[in-house]
Amino acid sequence: MENIDYKKIDLKCGLEIHRQLDTKHKLFCGCSTEMKGREALTEVERKQHPVASELGEVDVAVQYEFLRDRTFHYQVFQGEDCLVECDEEPIHPLNQEALEVALQIALLLNCTIPEEIHIMRKTVIDGSNTSAFQRTMVVGLEGFIEVKGKRIEVTHVSLEEDAAAIVEEKAGNVVYRLNRLGIPLVEIGTGLLVGYTSGEVEEIAGLIGLICRSTGKVKRGIGTVRQDVNVSIKNGERVEIKGIQELGLISKVIELEVQRQLSLSKVEKETRTALPDGTTKFTRPLPGAARMYPETDTPPIKIEKKFKQEIKKKLPEPWTKKLTRFKEELKLSDELANQILRSDYLDLFEKLTKKFKTQPSVIANVFVSTLRDLKKRENIPIENLGDKNFEELFELLDNERMVKESIPDVLSYKAKKHEMGISEIIKKLGLEAISKEELLKIVREVIEKNKGQPVNKIIGIVMSQVRGKVKSRDVVETVKKTIGKIY
Amino acid sequence: MYSDKVLRVLKRKKIDIGDRIQITKDNKTFEGILMPRIEMGDRDSLVLKLDNGYNIGIKFEPSVEIKKIKTEWFIKGSKGKEVETIIFDDKLPTISIIGTGGTIASKIDYRTGGVYASFSAKDIVTQIPELKEIANIKAKQIMSIMSEDMTPERWKGVAKAIGSEVNSGVKGVIVVHGTDTLHYTAAALSFMLRNLPCPIALVGAQRSSDRGSSDTVMNVSCAVNFVANSDVAEVCIVMHGSMSDDYCLAIRGTKVRKMHTSRRDAFKAVNDIPIAKIYWKDKKIEIINNNFRKRSKGKVRVDDKIEQRVALIRFYPGLDPEIFDYYLKKKYIGFVIEGTGLGHTPTLGKHSFLPKIEKIIKKGIPIIMTSQCLYGRVHPTIYHNLRELSKRGVIFAEDMLPEVAYIKLLWILGHTRKMDKVREMMLTNYAGEITERTEVITGNDEDGEY
Repeated sequence: MENIDYKKIDLKCGLEIHRQLDTKHKLFCGCSTEMKGREALTEVERKQHPVASELGEVDVAVQYEFLRDRTFHYQVFQGEDCLVECDEEPIHPLNQEALEVALQIALLLNCTIPEEIHIMRKTVIDGSNTSAFQRTMVVGLEGFIEVKGKRIEVTHVSLEEDAAAIVEEKAGNVVYRLNRLGIPLVEIGTGLLVGYTSGEVEEIAGLIGLICRSTGKVKRGIGTVRQDVNVSIKNGERVEIKGIQELGLISKVIELEVQRQLSLSKVEKETRTALPDGTTKFTRPLPGAARMYPETDTPPIKIEKKFKQEIKKKLPEPWTKKLTRFKEELKLSDELANQILRSDYLDLFEKLTKKFKTQPSVIANVFVSTLRDLKKRENIPIENLGDKNFEELFELLDNERMVKESIPDVLSYKAKKHEMGISEIIKKLGLEAISKEELLKIVREVIEKNKGQPVNKIIGIVMSQVRGKVKSRDVVETVKKTIGKIY
Repeated sequence: MYSDKVLRVLKRKKIDIGDRIQITKDNKTFEGILMPRIEMGDRDSLVLKLDNGYNIGIKFEPSVEIKKIKTEWFIKGSKGKEVETIIFDDKLPTISIIGTGGTIASKIDYRTGGVYASFSAKDIVTQIPELKEIANIKAKQIMSIMSEDMTPERWKGVAKAIGSEVNSGVKGVIVVHGTDTLHYTAAALSFMLRNLPCPIALVGAQRSSDRGSSDTVMNVSCAVNFVANSDVAEVCIVMHGSMSDDYCLAIRGTKVRKMHTSRRDAFKAVNDIPIAKIYWKDKKIEIINNNFRKRSKGKVRVDDKIEQRVALIRFYPGLDPEIFDYYLKKKYIGFVIEGTGLGHTPTLGKHSFLPKIEKIIKKGIPIIMTSQCLYGRVHPTIYHNLRELSKRGVIFAEDMLPEVAYIKLLWILGHTRKMDKVREMMLTNYAGEITERTEVITGNDEDGEY
């Protein structure tokens, strides 16, 4: 794969990045954006219909055939869906929190903000929206970001409602979970990226992700990010690949797509869906996707100059500054600073470093190494660990109730049996730190029993007795001091 | 509509809605198609449709430069044809659809967002291809109004239009109507259409027809099936029976009420069981209440004589009884009171209704008592205070809905003003508005499932 000559094949890409916003409520109603629901409260069954006038030149018959054969089943979840998601109540006013985050992102991407934002309805016929359209609005236009001295064009930033998530499709019956529907989503589109390698395109996507993340208001984890990439090579048609869920997959997807296109005699213009292994499958091209008309249930939103200035004042620290601060103030190495900046735990890391006196590098290492190792080597369900658990952990460290050496054991135990608190766990595992007096007592006893033994041997014996309960440095120091006094 | 300031500039530059233009403001240029101003928002903002489909608003100021590039769209409203008949198959029954307007007949212009009333047989059939398997359709547009603008005078027009369709020999008639006052019209037609020989279905939509998720398709499809194939010669409302697109209910026009502002299954039977369940997919009609008027051969007689000076007064704690004086001054000749519980109004001190009620009835003006509970029956003798009302000649309207009693009184007073006759007619069942006994299970049940 390394031998693709990007200049020769004239790779052209375009990115469209979608990120869910971590707001309290959905975009057009008061439902929670946390998708915790397991058991559906009820199920609503619907058909959808072709809408003749909106399609214009598109063949209605094709749509009719498509929709006739499909019945949609929507699972409704308590607290996470209401009549708005069921298409049984008009939308409530636009979520101001979501609008502000979207405008922040647009400003961070140097976009022009429209003076009046118009909510549009974009036709969707796959049933992923109960209303048969997706509400979307453009909040920023013609922006840019700088990457290694080069300007990358940002064509638009939109704020829209996320679609319902598909559960299964069987014999014309399509089942959706409704709780994802209506979660605020930002969409960021780049201009055509010409003269970049697949790796560089991935880097650009990563950077846009970092900028979104810097608002502290985007969701993290599986399913909260979806990336689309358009790929074309010399003399070929543009192929759109949708739904890449991981940043690290972008370059692989592009490379495989380039190889696929090189292997074809003629490339068809089409839409493909990204699979978890980086390969793609053909998606049925659905007509009418670009058909947009105004949402008439709610007025356009006027963006006053004063409001815009207030948002500018509240803009988060740019990621470049944050990186420098991590290195200079928090004394993180360049590698660690970059890792934590891209970590899902960035916000928590910043919160914890402000609150606790444990060294920032220790905290950062827990998030970028310890957790990764627990997951990869021992397959520990680290997703069971919540923000509160980490707070308790570092509080115990601060108060010297435990030592950093026992962090992996404690977290591993907590993740597996998550009903116990961290302080209970350290007691249960016998990892409670011992006081200096207790250590001194143990050291004295060991020296008494092993008179004449070399210092290193003594240290070894003490260590075996207090492992995980006291810092190793303290053991060494105490042994050396005490031996001096006794001998 | 744009502000005069904006319109003047557009006129001077010979720019029309639908033209591709360029707007330059603060050194930024946007290109797109000029859209009409939708009703809401800032009338000074120019709405531009960008090439990516999005609309944005750009505030007009004298420094803004506007340049026309070319004419891209011709935008104008479309209008439906007066009458159209679509014959699919000689063997199928023929039914009539009468349009009055409402959400169901509204259609958005997808390019502009403007809503135009456009209703024709062709529109409906294009939208609901399955109709061709059910019936031949005759369509007639008699008015284009939203539900809230319906009046007793217009009910007469609807009744006459139905009368002429029924007597021309169709198997049934559908009235397409806004939902807000659909049940008032249903009740009015129930009284006005005498000797009805065939089914009449009133249909509306809670989601406009231009939406892919509209309930129009199932509601109309089930209504066409119901009037073409059922044996029920009554005026019914046919709309969703649940939130799902599974079946519609045909509910008697005098026993139905809109009980939700926005849900598809907003219409509920009150003090009655719906007459039929009409399944959409397999087109099955299941009769769930056998108490209905059967289809017959005769002709319908339209009896649309009504008196309009009737008031419906809802009692609430604190209501000043002098409210009646206003209506009396305006020469009103009938009252329906929405009392509390079993049919109460106050009897103590200055809030007492008794003196007014006594005075009004003595003048020969009837007062009808209904309950704001909606569900259940009023009763004239259980409590002392009820007996006081009854003694003074208040007519207790059994289990009639307040709106239905109001419409019935309009209709009765169109025929007689004699108190005894009014009382007799009020307590006579003309269109299923009074039931002798109340079934244990009615539309009041938890989930409304039948």
